[in-house]
Amino acid sequence: MKTKLLNSGKKAAGAVAMIALALIIGAVLVLISGNKPMEAYATIISGAFGSKLRLSELFIKMIPLTIMALGISIAYKAQLWNIGADGQFTMGAIASAAIGIYVELPPFLIVPLSILSAILAGGLWAGLAGWLKTKFNANEVITTLMLNYIATYFLAFLVYGPMMDPQGELAQSEVLKESLRIPLLFSNYRIHAGIVIMILIILLMFFFWKTPLGYKTDLIGQGEKVSTYAGINVKRTIIITMMISGAFAGLAGWNETYGVQYRLLEGISSGYGDIAVVIALLGELNPLGIVISSFFFSILMVGGSCMQRMTNVPYSIVDVIKGLIIIFVIARTAFRNTAIKYTMKEWIGRRKNYAK
Amino acid sequence: MLSNIFTLGFLVSLLASTIRLATPILVPALGQIFTQKAGILNLGVEGTMTIGAVSGFSVAYLTGNLWIGILGGIIFGMLWSLLMACLSITMKANQVIAGIGLNILGAGVAVYAYRVIFGIQKLPPQVETFSIINIPLLSDIPIIGPIFFQHNILVYLGFLLVPITWFVLEKTTFGLKIKAVGEHPRAADSKGISVAKIRYSAVLIGGAYAGAAGAFMTIAYLNQFTEAIIGGRGYIAISVVIFSRFIPKRSMLGALLFGFASALQMRLQALGINIANQLLLMLPYIMTVLALILASKKSEIPSAYTIPYSRLER
Repeated sequence: MKTKLLNSGKKAAGAVAMIALALIIGAVLVLISGNKPMEAYATIISGAFGSKLRLSELFIKMIPLTIMALGISIAYKAQLWNIGADGQFTMGAIASAAIGIYVELPPFLIVPLSILSAILAGGLWAGLAGWLKTKFNANEVITTLMLNYIATYFLAFLVYGPMMDPQGELAQSEVLKESLRIPLLFSNYRIHAGIVIMILIILLMFFFWKTPLGYKTDLIGQGEKVSTYAGINVKRTIIITMMISGAFAGLAGWNETYGVQYRLLEGISSGYGDIAVVIALLGELNPLGIVISSFFFSILMVGGSCMQRMTNVPYSIVDVIKGLIIIFVIARTAFRNTAIKYTMKEWIGRRKNYAK
Repeated sequence: MLSNIFTLGFLVSLLASTIRLATPILVPALGQIFTQKAGILNLGVEGTMTIGAVSGFSVAYLTGNLWIGILGGIIFGMLWSLLMACLSITMKANQVIAGIGLNILGAGVAVYAYRVIFGIQKLPPQVETFSIINIPLLSDIPIIGPIFFQHNILVYLGFLLVPITWFVLEKTTFGLKIKAVGEHPRAADSKGISVAKIRYSAVLIGGAYAGAAGAFMTIAYLNQFTEAIIGGRGYIAISVVIFSRFIPKRSMLGALLFGFASALQMRLQALGINIANQLLLMLPYIMTVLALILASKKSEIPSAYTIPYSRLER
């Protein structure tokens, strides 16, 4: 237990160091662009925490990011590189919106039905990539990427076509009935009860890794041989793992549709998928780590757009910081893994060969 | 309204812009054939193209010479892909994550650099683009001429890269070595081929092609830089490589297919016709998935795809 604590302490310290390094480089870039770094960072902080309204916006961003990153972490633990969270989110949003708009049932039936449909849509969309991988050995990176585009254009087709709001000219569906929306927590702010769902999912994730399925998922990540020896049906577990991963993103899509936008619109996933990948990795695929890094990235995003409005500092600084963090994470993982050790050994081996 | 579509003029301009729009997809795709044949999946093409776009534009603007601009795009594209090479080959990092990271970083760095170099201006700075070159005689042929022989020089050069890429890959020892390190790095290593060196050069060639295509977007297509200028073309290029199953000739077909879909969408939009063009845009991606299924069955994918090589691991 002690070593475990020490280990996570070390990991956390590493993550903090990487963030600090990225922020320092960011500060230098702010300086070069002719602005004051401290002022820029102060605006990011006040933009994220400055008022109740800002706080509410912060958590609105954090909900989908956390849910998606947790889903991604499940796939990544199994070494399944699902980069299609955006598409799975979009399919979840589409399915749940369709239920909310077209199905005539009392709200207490519609709401659970919409959640279920979002989970299913996201899960099947990712499961399709999992099935293609097991059946045709199709690389899931490419298929999930393609499925992202297909979902995006499908959404565009719907909101410009059959699902377009008959009353409006914009590329969006009609608005959801008030009785269907996720209730607001406070009357004047956009923060909604979806945050409760996020907290529930976070708690569930701590248990997930202790369940047989969580264990199997983890084993798959150790390599096909290991899991075959352990008597695991690898193919089925790959598909199920992908489906669960996608179900999380689908749920996040429902959350965005029913809690924030109240309708389907073009570009509803707003590129959360890529950021969620970064969050999952910075959080070391660990639920607590993911929550913390998701909180951090929400600060960067909400505060960053505030900074762009209030000062002359361009938002691209935030993108640079995000990008640097992920590069540092990769570099650090590579260092920690055997890679460097191997390189050293290879180098030494070569010297020896020459000596002969 | 439909009669507007089925005129000869519409068809000619549609096919001409298909070729123009295919160029910035074809070029990075050809570059990625090198990279992927060597066993590296560089998802960071999008970022490399954005870097190429901003550096090509800046260099062209500051020097007043478009060719130096293209050269700038190529050099910075190579420098950017050097990061990818370093992460994926030397550090043996996960290629998917490295690619996504470099895309996010590339977008940030490009927009930041543009802002620092040009500041905030009321009107976006612009460059004179390459002029159209009418190929003598051929461009006078009705219908065929305007479609194929009235483009700027970079379009011709882009398509010229198809046989060049094919030749290098199929007819030179360098091409053989690339395929060897992608197919069986250990065997290549035992034959005295430096896996790392070949993979580095394959990634850098991919970067050069992508950088050139990025510069094409700013100085031969839009003549200015915008944040979303690449608009997913890097990812499309990757799908074209898969679609074409790593064969240059087929990648030309793939690029033309994507080019046609977006050209048709743009033309229809210009006419104000709102048919389901989103479904049309979706089609190339569906075909890519199908191609991937076929490619997997025929095992045309390099065996060491996305797998780092280490002498000590078996």
